[in-house]
Amino acid sequence: MAKKKKTVTKKSSSSLTSMWLSLTTIMSLVGGTGVSGWVNPDLPVIGPIVTSVMSMSSGSSTAQPSGPPGGMQPMQPGGTYPATMQPAAMQPAAMMTAGWGGSAQQPQQQPQQWGAASPTTPAVPQRPMASGSPPLASISYPPPPPAPPPPPPAANGKPPDALLICSFNIQVFGESKLAKPEVVEVLARVVRMFDIVAIQEVRAKSDSVVPTFVQAVNANGSRYHWVIGPRLGRTVSKEQYTFVYDTARVEVDPSSVGTAANPGDKLHRPPMFARFRTRANPPESAFTFWMVDIHTDPDEVPQEVDALADVFVAMQQARPDEDDVILLGDLNAAPNQFGRIAQIPNIGWAVSGTNTNTRRRQTYDNIIFSRAATAEYLGRWGVLDLQSTFGLSLDDALKVSDHNPVWAAFSPWEIRR
Amino acid sequence: MAHDLADLIANLASTDADTRAAAAESLGQMATDAAPAAVALVEACRDADDRVREWALAALEDLGPPPEDAVSKLTLLVSDKNPLTGYWAATLLGRCGEGAASAVDALAKAVDSGADLAVRERAAWALGQIGPAASAARGVLEKAAAAADERLARLASDALAGMEETG
Repeated sequence: MAKKKKTVTKKSSSSLTSMWLSLTTIMSLVGGTGVSGWVNPDLPVIGPIVTSVMSMSSGSSTAQPSGPPGGMQPMQPGGTYPATMQPAAMQPAAMMTAGWGGSAQQPQQQPQQWGAASPTTPAVPQRPMASGSPPLASISYPPPPPAPPPPPPAANGKPPDALLICSFNIQVFGESKLAKPEVVEVLARVVRMFDIVAIQEVRAKSDSVVPTFVQAVNANGSRYHWVIGPRLGRTVSKEQYTFVYDTARVEVDPSSVGTAANPGDKLHRPPMFARFRTRANPPESAFTFWMVDIHTDPDEVPQEVDALADVFVAMQQARPDEDDVILLGDLNAAPNQFGRIAQIPNIGWAVSGTNTNTRRRQTYDNIIFSRAATAEYLGRWGVLDLQSTFGLSLDDALKVSDHNPVWAAFSPWEIRR
Repeated sequence: MAHDLADLIANLASTDADTRAAAAESLGQMATDAAPAAVALVEACRDADDRVREWALAALEDLGPPPEDAVSKLTLLVSDKNPLTGYWAATLLGRCGEGAASAVDALAKAVDSGADLAVRERAAWALGQIGPAASAARGVLEKAAAAADERLARLASDALAGMEETG
């Protein structure tokens, strides 16, 4: 049912506030039929590519992609996944296409900056300016880059018919990690595989860590950019979330970036959100969606996942023209620990039946969305095993992170009924 | 204890910051295998070097419950002057559940003290994890349940509720 309402309706701030305040109560009343949301794929579960046979399909038979002209169609579920996800794809990609959307195919055309002048100020619950809480104004993000010219071959090589979204907890991502070139190289190669990477655990006093890292990502001619949230945490040790994204393939609405409200202080590090849009041609066909990045406190997982259920529903209702919410990150929880998240009607998740930490012991990371609303999900997901993908020993893989990246593929075109 | 782990713990006390940072980083990559280093890692939260602290925290986050023989030393660290040390001592004691019953008095004092709010909250949480064995802290928890701080009040209430259910 994606994007039922494309007509923009500006909501008053008072109604938004009251909506948010009521959500917790509403959610406490939401029942649910329970969610089977995932099946245990009897497939290899660790490796560079994992193709799922999840019941979540790319949509019902009545759902049609509003894809671009030219006969491009979304990848069908169950197909093989692109060779571009293999390490070899990190080489200059001979298979590069003309690019995704208008910017690559029509470089002379300067797409409008998305969202900047939108009348739809995001009706998103945002963190109040409470004492000790960073105000929204402290969220920083660099100015969005101008529309890029056609990306060079090394910057592309991704499938034209799939948006690749990744979650990656980069353990203690700070200056000491950046000082290890071999680690940065692996991290950069990971990022270049995906269109958007939701990163957790930026831990640095300096503000230069992410910009410096993105420079390394772009060293091959790629054009990634980032948005980053405030430092969060209850002790002097803080963490930041960041979204690093390929400007050749997606753009962010800079007015949409924020940190979720945290009523009752149930979330140690309330999630960061941002709204993205694929660079499709025509732009009206683009898949638009919220990304919500989370790293839960491992000692309060049951309370936090329940609070995240409220955040998810709030994000679904934050804008009348946006029903796609992709909550992803390090939940410190396997699907059978999803609590009230699992009771959200039609909820589903990409990663199941496998481990996501580098030691292959635990399932901590996932990508969660509504199976009904986000029919753009292509049914493909995976855990990018750092060891096997990059030929690393366990010790060397752990120097990169104690988590493997997890990913899922979505149609780059909005699916409408 | 494996020889390597003993070396890493010893290195956390080195006078050389790089050595301490390397040890903390190695422990941060060991997940639950780093549990025997729990006390040394909590003490490393006082370290003046950012790298040592950050990696010690990463190790503490992932090491799970500490060994039983760490409880007495962790109990002493709850009241450490450094809030980060107290916070993690309380956290690890909470992970011990009933096994940290001997720490109830120290945790109750932390809840009832003028300590850093995060330490008080974690101490209340830890008492809840200990469960009925923390019933001696009921009075302190009842007081905390009426606290102005919403999170502290909730954690204290949760701890009391847990005692009611199973106690």
